[in-house]
Order: sequence, then structure tokens, then C-alpha cells
Amino acid sequence: MTQAEIKLCSLLLQEHFGEIVEKIGTFLVRTGAQPLRIIVSETGLLLDQVKKGLCVLIQHNLATYQLQKRGSVEYEAQCERILHILRYPRYIYSAKTLYGDTGELLVEELLLNGKMTMSAVVRKVADRLTETMEDGKTMDYSDVSGTFVRLADTHFIQRCPLVPDSPQTPEAPPPAAPTLVIDEKEMYVVPRLNLVGKGKRRRSCEEEEDGERKVKKQKQGESSEPPPDDGIYWQVNIDRFHQHFRDQGIVSAVASRMDQTSSEIVRTMLRMSEVTTSSSAPHTQPLSSHEIFRSLPAGYNITKQILDQYLTLLADDPLEFVGKSGDSGGGTFTVNLHKALVSLATATLESIVEERFGSRCARIFRLLLRKKHLEQKQVEDFAMIPAKEAKEMLYKMLSENFVSLQEIPKTPDHAPSRTFYLYTVNIVSAARMLLHRCYKSVANLIERRQYETKENKRLLEKSQRVEAILASMQATGAEDTQLQEIEEMITAPERQQLETLKRNVNKMDASENQVDETIFVLEMFIESTMRK
Amino acid sequence: MAEVKVKPEVSDPMDIENRIIELCHQFPHGITDQVIQNDMPHMEAQQRAMAINRLLSMGQLDLLRSNAGLLYRIKESQNASKMKGSDNQEKLVYQIIEDAGNKGIWSRDIRYKSNLPLTEINKILKNLESKKLIKAVKSVAASKKKVYMLYNLQPDRSVTGGAWYSDQDFESEFVEVLNQQCFKFLQSKAEAARESKQNPMIQRNSSFASSHEVWKYICELGISKVELSMEDIETILNTLIYDGKVEMTIIAAKEGTVGSVDGQMKLYRAISPLIQATGLVRTPCGLCPVFDDCHEGGEISPSNCIYMTEWLEF
Repeated sequence: MTQAEIKLCSLLLQEHFGEIVEKIGTFLVRTGAQPLRIIVSETGLLLDQVKKGLCVLIQHNLATYQLQKRGSVEYEAQCERILHILRYPRYIYSAKTLYGDTGELLVEELLLNGKMTMSAVVRKVADRLTETMEDGKTMDYSDVSGTFVRLADTHFIQRCPLVPDSPQTPEAPPPAAPTLVIDEKEMYVVPRLNLVGKGKRRRSCEEEEDGERKVKKQKQGESSEPPPDDGIYWQVNIDRFHQHFRDQGIVSAVASRMDQTSSEIVRTMLRMSEVTTSSSAPHTQPLSSHEIFRSLPAGYNITKQILDQYLTLLADDPLEFVGKSGDSGGGTFTVNLHKALVSLATATLESIVEERFGSRCARIFRLLLRKKHLEQKQVEDFAMIPAKEAKEMLYKMLSENFVSLQEIPKTPDHAPSRTFYLYTVNIVSAARMLLHRCYKSVANLIERRQYETKENKRLLEKSQRVEAILASMQATGAEDTQLQEIEEMITAPERQQLETLKRNVNKMDASENQVDETIFVLEMFIESTMRK
Repeated sequence: MAEVKVKPEVSDPMDIENRIIELCHQFPHGITDQVIQNDMPHMEAQQRAMAINRLLSMGQLDLLRSNAGLLYRIKESQNASKMKGSDNQEKLVYQIIEDAGNKGIWSRDIRYKSNLPLTEINKILKNLESKKLIKAVKSVAASKKKVYMLYNLQPDRSVTGGAWYSDQDFESEFVEVLNQQCFKFLQSKAEAARESKQNPMIQRNSSFASSHEVWKYICELGISKVELSMEDIETILNTLIYDGKVEMTIIAAKEGTVGSVDGQMKLYRAISPLIQATGLVRTPCGLCPVFDDCHEGGEISPSNCIYMTEWLEF
């Protein structure tokens, strides 16, 4: 784990879980798998604290444990998984666009709690939704369960591994650490529950009397027996969300390069192969053009011929996102996932070079990407840039490690006057370098945000106190003049400062998400290349 | 019995010379001494040598060395008249420069080939230049180097750099202007194709422009003082490809269609970029020049970063 990654992990853990978990997490990320005693001794925390911290980490799928041969249990933190915390807002937003508010809240609850049973999640989300609805209306459990089932069907959430119910002989002691197993087929099966009920508001004083009594009876009835799906916990399927983001990226690239219709066709193809193709495959399953025609969204009424033409165009395009794999069924087509990721990553690299060094440097960069290895003179000739400028730009890019030199000696003594020096771009190493830089940038942004908040702590506390007073006074029904007096406790320039602070914090949050998009593209690209 | 003195045939020296010249004409690649001897077996070596020397000094024969020995070759007549006033060394240097063709030859290379000392060479070169027989052309590759070539020859493209160089200066503005013009032409073509709203195949095909069309358009625009060939336009279009604004395909075209080269045609089309500016460059850290020096608690740190402060004030 690089320095930048460790720093970022510690910042994220601190922000979301507090000091103790941060210490444990950072120690595990830095040193790998460790048994409990060593964690306690190295971090200087109490055994109790360490136990609780590890529980938190395991609950959120950020750490795993393993039973070693000698009987001790070692705990390991997953650095990548911790870095995915950065992406939680994006997951929640996609769930919102796909499944509406219900989906958004379901995913949010699951992310915040790590693992939950279905009944607990459904109840909580129903309560939250009822809060936001108008008076008198409540959210039915069945709606929420319906969305939950749909999320499970499209594999966005999955069951957590369970302890196997193997019959245990009374003599054998239970193992020190249970091994969790989950059957592939069981992962997305939703248990049959009859969740009856409606969401409840926190302040039940507005509900009718009958409602209250019924609710009280229900509560008593439920608390006496354990929920029927006890032991079946659900978690968010991060891989599936990544697949979804990757598909989104491909579709938007096709839309900007070609037109809207082509992007819809590609989106249909990707949707059809969502559940059939594993996330690590280099292409999707072949789809015949008849199937694609049948699965096009209802609003699109293009004729079969036009669809065929579009497919041929997509297959012939130099982008090579879609490939033709055969002629049966009117032509079978696949989406080239690996190539698409390479193109997206290359476009990201080019855009970074363009913004940092200028468009002429971008021209040289793209030239080197195409021609692989070039001499200094050839670069000048092809790019039509005067010699002095070309030299300057190449050296600048060389110093930042975007391009590298390859020496080819003419004589065995490698004399500089008799060697060829070729410039070349190595995409994977440039991608790694930029990924590292992204991690450091995000860490910088988080630190700056915390610094800004700390600077204005006094002001924030004051405004919070004022708000609390206001709220309590409104609840007890105070007069307008009194409310105004309280509000004026915050002076105008202070109010402005608060405004600026809020704006800055929002800006930095937004830019963290934007850098995270770049991180995603580069990570996917490196993963896909390493797998090949 | 009267002694008949057989006078050895004293061939007229002129005849010998003419005979030798005829032989040279017969074998334009050059004749060796052996050939002359075979032709006139009764001639003495001395007479032969005298004739050859005279021809050489008159400038009608060239003396060359080959594997088989010495070769004599006839020289063109008009040059023969020019060199009347110069001496052998100059003739030698002139010959070397002539052999270099239109690429020219550097003074050091002349020295190697002729084995003459540097001072002599310089004197001879000055002489020849004043007689307007050779000229010096500055090379574009190494600006201090001067290559010499015959006066009436057009310097080769590799020396002057072709259409993009005027007086050894790379005309970057000219290239930029051409760049933008070509791109605008292709862009408007693509726009027109998109608005026609026919089926996608036709749309795509009509948004293509062949390199010949672009060449014609640029010629008609008349922004170039120098005449540009199709290859020049293709190099400009290549730079547009490297800018990521244009893509190229090659299709097979019938021989004889306008603009096809060896049965192929290059088509160009304006394209839009694949993604918008990526996330990293929207933050100050992505473009920061002192990124590597920045860490918490140091001189440069996120808390006191001036770039961030400016960015937040937007």
C-alpha cells in the first residue's frame, strides 16, 4: 500500500468511524494480517476497545479474519474496500436514479449499517419515508419490500456469507473463528416474508387514537418473537455497482462520439448482459440482432433495417467498442469491455496532459501513443511543431514521467552520440502514476475541508446553538418577535462567513466526487489489464 | 637490294586523340588503357600517354579510378568549355559537387573525397562561387552547416524543409492557419451530414471528405503563397488526427477515380472528443506544479495552499 493510499484510508476511517477505528484500521493496512494481541500492543488501546473496533470494521466488510494453522486468528484490513467508502455517494445516487427514493434509502441504510436483515431495513426505510411524506399518509411495507426484491433480482444487493448449519458433535469444541460460506445460488434469493405494516413517524402525536392503539399492539406483538428472517443478512454488492458505472461510462462515450440512438443500442446490449456476464470478462456474451431488436426500450421505434445499419456502423467504428462475432441470427455482436476501458483510460490520460501542459503537448502525447516509439526529429516532423518548442515539451513531459526514453545503442560502448533515443508512452505505468496522484489529491481535499471546518468551529457551534434554541422555542409556540431576537444573535458578517464556509465545503465535497470518477476509470483499467 | 625502311607509322596525334574520343563514345561508361591498346596495337605507350594527357588537360576526358585500373570517360561538351579557365583541382572539386546531385555536399566531405587541404578547398570554393558554378545552401537540419551544390539545381526537400519552411524558418503560423481551415471544412461537412437526418449509413458516409477534396478546398481558398501538394495536405490532416479532432479511414477505390493513390483513398471525418475534462483536472491539485512537495505540516500543505484558496473564492 502506498503512502498516499494509507493516508487516505486513515482520513476516511477517521471521518466515518472515529479515532479508535482509525488507529486500528491504519495499523492493519500498514502491516497486513495481525493477531489480536499484536494489534492491542502496537496501537496502545485497551483490549475492549480493540475488540469493538474490529467488530465495527468486520460489520462494514472492511476487515476480514482468517483462522491460521496454529489456531490463532489473524485480522486483515482490505485497503481497497476502505477506499470505496469515497464512492458511497455515487452508489446511493445510482440507486436513486434507478429505483427512486425508496431504492436510494435502502442502499443508504445498508451502506451505513454494513449488514442488516431484510425486515430491519424495510422497517427503517418505511419509517424514514413516512417522515418526509405529508401528514396522514404513511409508507406501506409492501412497497419497500417490492423495491428490495427488485434490487436483489438485479444483483445490487446480496446475502452475506453465513455460518453453515453443520451438525456439531457435542465433544468437539467450536472453532475459534467460524468460517462463513454462501452458496452461489442462494446469494440473491429473497426470503418469503409477510411484512405487514406501515411506516411510523417519530412524533406520533398527530396520529389518530385508533392508529396509536393498533400501533402499540403491533409493537408489543413483534418484540416478543424474533423476526422470521433472523440470521439472513444482506449487504451491498459493490462489484455490481462498479459494473453499472462502467456501463454508464461506455454509453456516454458512445453518445458523445456517435449519436443518441447508437448509445441507446449499446445501453440495451449492456443491460441484456448485466446478469449473464461476470464483471471481469473482457467481452459480453454474443447477442443476436433479433434479440437486441426485441429488447429495445418501448419508446424507440426504429425499424429492423435501421438497427442493422447502426450495428454495422458501431462494429466498423475505429473505436471498436462493439465487435461482430458471427452471422447467425442476423449477426451476433458483443461489447468489447476491455477495449472500451482502454479507450476511456487513454482519453482520461490525454485530457490530463492537455489540461496540464497545453494542447500542443497533447498532440505530441497522442502522436506517441499511436506510433509507439519515435525519435526526436520524427516527433517534430509528424507533429508539425518547431524544433525548439517540441524539445521543451518533450522534456517537460519526460520530467513528469508521462513519457519515457528507450535507448538503442549502435555500438557496444553505448556512447551517447552513437545511440538512438526513442520516446515512448507506457499507458499502464502512466495510469498508475496518475492514480497515486488522485489518491493524494483526495487526501489533500479532505484535509483542507477539515481545516476549514476547524477554523470556523466557534462560529459553527454558535449557529448550532441558535438553531437548537429556535427549534425548541418553535415547538413550545413562541412569538415571532422572540424568534427574531434569537435569530439576530448571529450578525450579518457572521452569517456571510457561514455561507462561504458552507459553499466551500460543498465545493470540496463535489470535487472529491469528481476526482473519484477519475480514480474509478483508472482503477478499472489497471484491473482489466492486469487480468489479461 | 634496296633496304626498304619501313617507317613506323607516325599516327597523327590528332588522329590518336580522335580515335580515343570515338572509343570513349562507344563505351560511355569509360574505357581502360587495355581497350585503347587493343584498338591501336601499333601505337607506342608513350604516344598513347601523351594523347590521353592532352585530352585530359583540354577537359575532354574524365579520369576515373576503378577496380580494373584507370578509366577514361568522355565529358559533356558544354562543361568542357566552362572549365577551360580552371585548373585540375578546381575541376576535381567541381566534379565531386556535381556527383552529390541535389542534396548538396558539405565542405568536410569534399575534403575527404579530394584529399586536398582545407585552405585550398576554401579558395577553390570561393572561386567557383564567384564564377557562378556552384552555390551554398543552408541546411535546415543543422543551421550552421552549409552544403554546396551546382548553381542551377533545385535543392532537395530534405535540405530546405519543403513547403513549411521559408528561409530556414519553420512557419508555424502558416501551419496553424491551415490546420484550423481544414478542421472547419471537415466540421461543417459533418454538421451538414448530421442535419440531413437520413438513415445513419448515408449520414456517416456523407460526413467523410477525401484528402483530394480537402486539397481542392485549400487551393481554392488561396491562403497559401506556396503551392501545396496532396501529401502536404495529408501531413496537415495527420496533425489534426493527433489533436484528436479528426479520424481517418482508408477505403479501396477504383484506379482512376479522382484522388486515389494506388487504389486507395484516405477519408477524413471530424469527430467530437470521447469524454469531457476529467475529474482530476477540475481540482487545483491536478494542475499543481509543486504537488510533490506538498504534505501536511510542511511549508506547502493543503491547509495553507494558495491555489486552493483562490479556487475556493470563485
